[in-house]
Amino acid sequence: MSLPPTSVLIQVAIGGLLTGGVYALLVSGLTLIFGVMRVINIAHGAFLVLSAYLAYWLFTLLGMDPIVSIAVLAPLFFVFGVLVQRYLIARVRQEPGLLVLVTFALAITLEGVMGSLWRTTGRSVRTAYTGEVVPLALGDLTVRLPIVQLVGFAAAVIALGVLYLLLTRSDLGRAIRATIQNPDAAQLVGVNVALVRALTFGAALASVAAGGAVFSLIWTFNASSHEAWISKMLSIVVLGGMGSLPGALVGALIIGVAEAVAAVTITTYLSPIVSYLILFFILVFRPQGLLGSRIREA
Amino acid sequence: MSAAGSPLLWTEGLTRSFGGITAVKDCSLEVRTGSITGLIGPNGSGKTTLFNLITGIYAADGGEVYLRDRRITGLTPSRICHLGLSRTFQITRLFWDLSVLENMIVPVRQVGLRALLGPGMYRHEQERALVLLERVGLTHLKEQPAGKLSFGQQKLLEFASVLMSEPDVVLLDEPTGGVNPTIIRFMMALIRALNREGVTFLVVEHNMTVVMELCDHIIVMNHGQKIAAGSPPVVQQDPVVLDAYLGV
Amino acid sequence: MLPHLTRRWPVYAVLALLAYPWIWRAPYFHLLGFDTLLGATMAVSWNIMGGYTGYKSLGHSAFFGLGAYLVAIAANRWGWNPLWSAPLLALVVVAVALLLGWIMLRTTGSAFVIATIALLLIFRLLALNLRGITGGAPGLSQPLPPWSPEFSRLPFFYYMLIWTLVAVAVSAFIVRSRFGLGLLAIRDDEGKAEMVGVNTTLYKVLAFGLSAYFVGLGGGIWSYFQTHISPVFAFDLRIGVDMILMTMLGGLGTVWGPVLGAFILIPARDFILFRFGATQIHLAISGALMLAIILFLPRGILPTLQEWLERRRAPASAFVGARLMTELRDESAATASTPPGDPHSRVRPAPR
Repeated sequence: MSLPPTSVLIQVAIGGLLTGGVYALLVSGLTLIFGVMRVINIAHGAFLVLSAYLAYWLFTLLGMDPIVSIAVLAPLFFVFGVLVQRYLIARVRQEPGLLVLVTFALAITLEGVMGSLWRTTGRSVRTAYTGEVVPLALGDLTVRLPIVQLVGFAAAVIALGVLYLLLTRSDLGRAIRATIQNPDAAQLVGVNVALVRALTFGAALASVAAGGAVFSLIWTFNASSHEAWISKMLSIVVLGGMGSLPGALVGALIIGVAEAVAAVTITTYLSPIVSYLILFFILVFRPQGLLGSRIREA
Repeated sequence: MSAAGSPLLWTEGLTRSFGGITAVKDCSLEVRTGSITGLIGPNGSGKTTLFNLITGIYAADGGEVYLRDRRITGLTPSRICHLGLSRTFQITRLFWDLSVLENMIVPVRQVGLRALLGPGMYRHEQERALVLLERVGLTHLKEQPAGKLSFGQQKLLEFASVLMSEPDVVLLDEPTGGVNPTIIRFMMALIRALNREGVTFLVVEHNMTVVMELCDHIIVMNHGQKIAAGSPPVVQQDPVVLDAYLGV
Repeated sequence: MLPHLTRRWPVYAVLALLAYPWIWRAPYFHLLGFDTLLGATMAVSWNIMGGYTGYKSLGHSAFFGLGAYLVAIAANRWGWNPLWSAPLLALVVVAVALLLGWIMLRTTGSAFVIATIALLLIFRLLALNLRGITGGAPGLSQPLPPWSPEFSRLPFFYYMLIWTLVAVAVSAFIVRSRFGLGLLAIRDDEGKAEMVGVNTTLYKVLAFGLSAYFVGLGGGIWSYFQTHISPVFAFDLRIGVDMILMTMLGGLGTVWGPVLGAFILIPARDFILFRFGATQIHLAISGALMLAIILFLPRGILPTLQEWLERRRAPASAFVGARLMTELRDESAATASTPPGDPHSRVRPAPR
């Protein structure tokens, strides 16, 4: 294992940061759901892939650019999320081990449905700008950035910005933050916690719908991709601290860069092990992650 | 067993804070062998935290806990229980799906291979459990799941079950909280009887009548610190105590 | 577990299983029988941790794959016959599980579940990448069984049957032992169990190790049965999912529940595969079934059935005739509350 030249490392690190920005969008809903209702939504990866499939579908059939399709997918997934929370999550005995199984069962149900509908062929959206790169001069070094990465990063930043405004400027956002802080106290001061939970689930799925559209531009996927992705997403939020949005952002950037660097220094095949090991050891030895509070249940 | 009157359980400078709030501060107190010691203080004065520190649920930031001549600071709760210290909880905790009898057997200590491969309960253990259940009037419910008992019965079962590990000292967290006067009298009589049989008690209790009638020694806490200690009449007259309860 | 059923029914069940391959002689039925027994054995094993102790692992396929690979590697390198090496090498799986359990079991609730998934993914990735040992993605082949291929599945069927019975016996022994009582106590209230003197860490680690034994063993036998194994199939998340499904359907934390679940689910799934062909539909059905069980039959078939039978036999309150202090009951009405949606309708004090 020899270290590649600095220029390659810089190129890789910038690519990793861009990827990390997209990761932040993918996991924002996951950490929000945990924060508000202490549910680890293992189906988040499956919803991501579902949204990517729908974006692919809209692109192939209607020629709609995935970024544009966010406008269709996000409201759709919002409704979907509210329904899932109301009629599934809220109906199960509130016991952490059981709730994880529910979201897990939901994940494999979605995987089965998607696998039957779209077979196992790997898909990805190939737009006119796929494969194009933009050169970026940094002193005497030129970094080549794929356009899809830049577009994905920009979309992620905008989507996260909307989410941030929602959380800080709206009544719902205040209610959500109050519920994260202390559900009992929130209820006492008049927050309709049941409604907040349903809307949070909706908002979280809307964010992952946006993530899925971006995802379809950058990565190849099939129905079973969600297994690897949910693991990666979990390692990001666990690293940042479950339930903490700033933590998710930090975790996403760290994992994005670490993975990219691992891919050129270890091997591409083994590079996912970095995130699995992070997930395993953080859960075991530092369950509060970098910025979150301890995963405390029951 | 230590001689009556000598310290059985004591703490030295016990301290614990939670994110800037010091719940227990430099707390030194002792429980003498054969006593029924009361631990009182206004809400939030650190009594339950102190229980959790003594029994090993929380790690102390500083200070020590001794049981007989042994330092028990930092031991696991199960280890501390084996050394002869049991407790009940303010909000009753039982194994809800297990039967009343099984709830009595879980605390019985078995060591080594017997603990792993031995039968669920030995005859002599069952007999001892039944004797205790008889004393609290629950024998006829021995096959019922603990979750089906009434609140008062649960309280009695929890009390009886912690005695199964043959403790030298039992920490009771509000034994009469939320139960009716009949059971309060029953509980007090039971504590006195067990005390005569050699069990030492440290009792957190809000009902002052109970405390003054039951305890032979009282420790008063406020803001995580011990502010007074003595016999019931002494403590009752102590201006510091009156101040803590009535003052601002 | 159902004392009012005749005590001899396990004997009849075993006799029926012994006769089964001679009644349904087609190789397909032998395969189905083997699959069912394999599933039952592993579900019984999983239940020791997931059912008795209440720690639901989603990553037990890691131990399945580990057992499968150990047996295949030992057969190839040293010529060990899987029929005796599988039970032996499953002990190695237990050792690994004990070590991992000792590391992992400081987590509880969902953190534990996620950690078990991470564990499985790490194992799978290692199997894919340690090519020198595991053969990488294409996997490993091992020698075929020496007996004639005509009845090749029959010895596997009977061999698996032996281990199913052993697993059930071990599980039944545990639940009646002091150790098992400790595990049930941990499931109900771990903090309280620790408080009354149960060494919860030790108990949990031992239960985790033990629950890996028959899963590792099943993996070993399966590997011989398949003769060729690869990381994707040996470390398949679904194997662990099946263990959970079977156990939850039959009755979580009961001795016979996992067996019953296996005998319902595996034939049913085979039927579905036969009917619909596509394996992806099977995944969707597994998931939907899991949701349905959690929502509508959370305690599984056996406990629900038992409760129903008991209620039929004693329609009035079980407390009737008890010489109760009436005061105890009166005050309970005032202070106790029943949590909504709790199937046990436990009476618990209202939190203050």
